[in-house]
Amino acid sequence: MLTVAFAKGRTADGVWPIWRSAGLPLPLALDESRSLVFEVSGGPGGSMRFLLAKPADVPTYVSLGVADVGVVGKDVLLESEREVYELLDLCAARCKLCVAGRPEDRDKRPRRVATKYPHLADQYFRSRGLAVEVVALSGSIELAAVIGLADRIFDLVQTGATLKANGLVVFDEVLDVSARLIANRSSFHTKRTAVDAVVQRLEQAQVAACAGVNQA
Amino acid sequence: MSLDLQKRWAERPPGMRDVYPQQAKHRRRLETRLLRFFEDRGFEQVSCGLLEYVDTLLRSRSAGEAEDWFRLFDATGRTVALRPEMTPSIARMAAPLLAAGTAEIRWCYAERVYRRTTDPATLSWASGKAAESTQVGVEWIGRTGCTADAELLALCQQAADAVGLADWQMVVGHASFAPAFLASLGLAQAHVEQVMQCLARGDYVAARWQLRAGGVAEDALSWLAALNPLQAEAVPEVVRPYLADSVVAGCWEELVSLARVLAEQGLTDHLSFDLTLARDLTYYTGIVLELFAPGVGAPVALGGRYDDLLGQFGAPAPAIGFTFEAERLLTALTEGAWLHEPEGEEREC
Repeated sequence: MLTVAFAKGRTADGVWPIWRSAGLPLPLALDESRSLVFEVSGGPGGSMRFLLAKPADVPTYVSLGVADVGVVGKDVLLESEREVYELLDLCAARCKLCVAGRPEDRDKRPRRVATKYPHLADQYFRSRGLAVEVVALSGSIELAAVIGLADRIFDLVQTGATLKANGLVVFDEVLDVSARLIANRSSFHTKRTAVDAVVQRLEQAQVAACAGVNQA
Repeated sequence: MSLDLQKRWAERPPGMRDVYPQQAKHRRRLETRLLRFFEDRGFEQVSCGLLEYVDTLLRSRSAGEAEDWFRLFDATGRTVALRPEMTPSIARMAAPLLAAGTAEIRWCYAERVYRRTTDPATLSWASGKAAESTQVGVEWIGRTGCTADAELLALCQQAADAVGLADWQMVVGHASFAPAFLASLGLAQAHVEQVMQCLARGDYVAARWQLRAGGVAEDALSWLAALNPLQAEAVPEVVRPYLADSVVAGCWEELVSLARVLAEQGLTDHLSFDLTLARDLTYYTGIVLELFAPGVGAPVALGGRYDDLLGQFGAPAPAIGFTFEAERLLTALTEGAWLHEPEGEEREC
């Protein structure tokens, strides 16, 4: 049996279609159920168990071996710096890590940045020679800019609707983000046949999704 | 139960872990079993001080590797470091003996090693980088060739069996094969290094991207992964021309000879070759190995051949070694229970 940790929400929603067209088993009744663990028969390895986890926790589950493989956004992977194998770019659940703020702050030197990605934000501003104060928040990052806690936010932007609704604009696009298939180092070698089968099926299914996409 | 809101108790630096009587007993028993196993096979235990000069540790490796070492200044202003592993210290100790005429050295050790990290110890013992951990390993200096390589792999496998590790899988690669193979595909040296760094991190996505950026259209990573020295006759036709390059052919020949010896000795049941396997240590020159077990996210044993390191210490000699990560091995052996058992309850491991 393979245990798969899925990043709940945006990433999972974006990846299900590829997962389905790869012919891999899907947990049924996902929408109605509030359970977090599903076991489904079929697929490589005989059966699959799905864990639906908070995105930031997926690398933790996989690196510690309670899940063999995981599906999670590149943003989360970069921020977590966990020791896992990154096997495949699924080219799904695409969005961008952006620096945004209120239009009137655009030409001012950044002083304080609110973000869910303290490591990446620090890296980004340091690499541009800007000394900023990073405020780590765990959600609704836009709020920080709206009420003036920070003059920049460093966050994921998918459609830009939330930014727009709050009167914020994108200043810089930092990184293209997409969902990645990751594997526990030990599982990758001890369950190699099953993991390889998942990779191959997804590889075939994601060719269409990846076509014409220029990776950053 | 209550929270220590007044902070009455002394704090512990991040990454450090206290080991209480029952756990200490577990760990000592494992160390003893491994050391005895190695001693029975002709490896003598050595030990040395915890501090080494940074320039000693940096021989035959890149300055970037020092990033996660605990470094400090000694009384004379020279930088020393808490050893991140034992191999450089062993090389330092062995070099004068080799220069004085000793032909072969077989040593083993059980020592604490240190790295900079803020991960909590129990988690980093299961996966990732531990601030403090125990390595129990062997170094065998003075012998080269595939029979020596096979003998060392056998020693590692038998030691894993001897301590009762179940369902382990040994993965073997070659430190020089992938870089030479990629170069023979026409990849420039700078890109080769980038790709190898990605592979050492386990980032196959970035490695593929680097290959494309370097102008290699072929799916070189899949080719590497598909090459199996145990089935040397089954090399895909498209890959054959790239094995003709002299460095690649030399490494491939080494691997095939090793595979033949391993197969003859029945050591291939839980062993697979993976030529994408890369270690982040630059001193490896030949075969590299990692031993995996269910329940932990990083190898429980790791090592390889380092034929150029002793030369950096003034006494050129081939050498090969491996080490078990004791706490990680214990975590795999007891499914993590060794850290949580109530006192007085014995559990064999």
